[in-house]
Amino acid sequence: MKECILRIDNLHKNFGGVVAVDAFNLEVRIGELMGIIGPNGAGKTTIFNLISKIYEPDEGTIEFDGQNITHKSQIQVARMGLSRTFQNVRLFSGLSVLDNVKVALDAKANYSLLEAMFLLPRRWKREKETTRAAMECLTLLNLDEFADRQPGNLPYGLQRRVEIARALVSNPKLLMLDEPAAGLNPEEVFQLIDFLHEMREKYPQTAILIIEHRMELVMNICEYIYVQDFGKTIAKGDPTEIQNNPAVIKAYLGEEA
Amino acid sequence: MSAYQISLITLTCISVITVSGVFTMTSLAGMFSLGQAAYMSISAYLTFCLARYLNLPIWLTAIVGIVMSGIVAFIISLPSLRLRRDYFALLSVGFGGMVLAIVILLGKWTNAAVGFSKIPKVNHLVWIILGITVLIVFVVRNIKYSRFGRMCIALKTDEIAARSFGINVYGLKVKIYVVASVIAAVGGICFGLRNRVIAPDSFDWSASAEMQILLFFGGTNSLTGSVLSAASLKLLPEFLKGVSIFGMNLHDFRTTIYCILIILIINFRTKGLMGEKELSFKLIQKLAKKINRTVKKGGSK
Repeated sequence: MKECILRIDNLHKNFGGVVAVDAFNLEVRIGELMGIIGPNGAGKTTIFNLISKIYEPDEGTIEFDGQNITHKSQIQVARMGLSRTFQNVRLFSGLSVLDNVKVALDAKANYSLLEAMFLLPRRWKREKETTRAAMECLTLLNLDEFADRQPGNLPYGLQRRVEIARALVSNPKLLMLDEPAAGLNPEEVFQLIDFLHEMREKYPQTAILIIEHRMELVMNICEYIYVQDFGKTIAKGDPTEIQNNPAVIKAYLGEEA
Repeated sequence: MSAYQISLITLTCISVITVSGVFTMTSLAGMFSLGQAAYMSISAYLTFCLARYLNLPIWLTAIVGIVMSGIVAFIISLPSLRLRRDYFALLSVGFGGMVLAIVILLGKWTNAAVGFSKIPKVNHLVWIILGITVLIVFVVRNIKYSRFGRMCIALKTDEIAARSFGINVYGLKVKIYVVASVIAAVGGICFGLRNRVIAPDSFDWSASAEMQILLFFGGTNSLTGSVLSAASLKLLPEFLKGVSIFGMNLHDFRTTIYCILIILIINFRTKGLMGEKELSFKLIQKLAKKINRTVKKGGSK
């Protein structure tokens, strides 16, 4: 059995009277690819926001990489190696594609503001390292030809991939993808599936947690799936089990007349 | 050089220094402040009052003035940068007013609204100010092209996304605010040395607003644009002095001309004159090639 990287125990979150997440449990191991699916409003993105510490949970514990992160800040958790993308692409519009990827490494690059202001030697060294790592990641994911482009000028599917590259460049222990196929056309979804398969080969140590609506994507790449509905986990299992689960079919297609 | 030319050069340089400071905070980190002139006054009053009353050399008191501005900026930034951007801008106006009120309260030493004029004369001032200007622009440029510049632009666009990459948004804003205020402080001392008199009027919120206008005119995300507009708009009234149409001197219409220019920019180039373009060797090479090609084409016809 591989080492457990993320363990969530009995997680709760209410917004006013609405129960967004109710008694959620989850375990992710190194290199695993897990999916969370469910209809709109099932609390999937809330789970992500709780794990990445944008929200505070009402109850429950989150353990990441052997440490309890329930009360850590978003910045601390990010620096521990938890990386994520967002439902609506959130690339930094003022920066080129390469700079967008570089900025994901910048918080950890250690040279001071004074060294930056007066171009001291360490600044050059660290900048070189950052550029090389970012270019390597872009090349690995076949995005290097877009390095100098502005992200706003790229097609949506490519912006998604750049966002994933930006989240991957720091070699995170856990990568969380929030609806990576949202807003993509069918052809782009297939490209994304290939892209994700390729990515897993190249970053075998990174565990991936994915929220998705598009069944073709989830069923194609996830090893294990959690199904959420109204904050509760209604089913879990591998793709074939999920596809034949009556509770899931009910949640997705409604009650039979 | 004639005294007039020197005064024009120093005027331009001071404008470039202060606008570079505002560029660091507003263009890079997205903090809009109308109180930067207050840091000019803190450092200028400290420098010249200490030099006068304690008989210390000016370079020493200048260091004290700049360091004190930095410390004040640090203290002010701790609570105010926790606020939302619009409240931060409001607070900066209040801060500017507060500093000037203190200057007037200490009228016994600062000479209050009349202005403090016991400022020593410094030789070769124009070269010193030119040197400082070049240094400041160099430093600001280096910040822009470092990890700090990238992180600033990231947090300006999207704070939550920036945090999700481990960027300490609050800490970085404090750092940048202190740097911008120190640059303003340097500008304040240069201002005092040039004018040989400092009065609260010259550091009020309209002085801070002018810096922002010059910045937005040149291009919100372009250091080159900001520097060019800081220099050219500051010199514009002087050129207008020599021009007259229908017997009227354009210098008398300088406010109107400013406003027309700004309205034109806001309407037709929302991102400022230069937008996001920077002057770099690559760009110059590209332009040279373009010109070369067009010249050749013209020749073959």
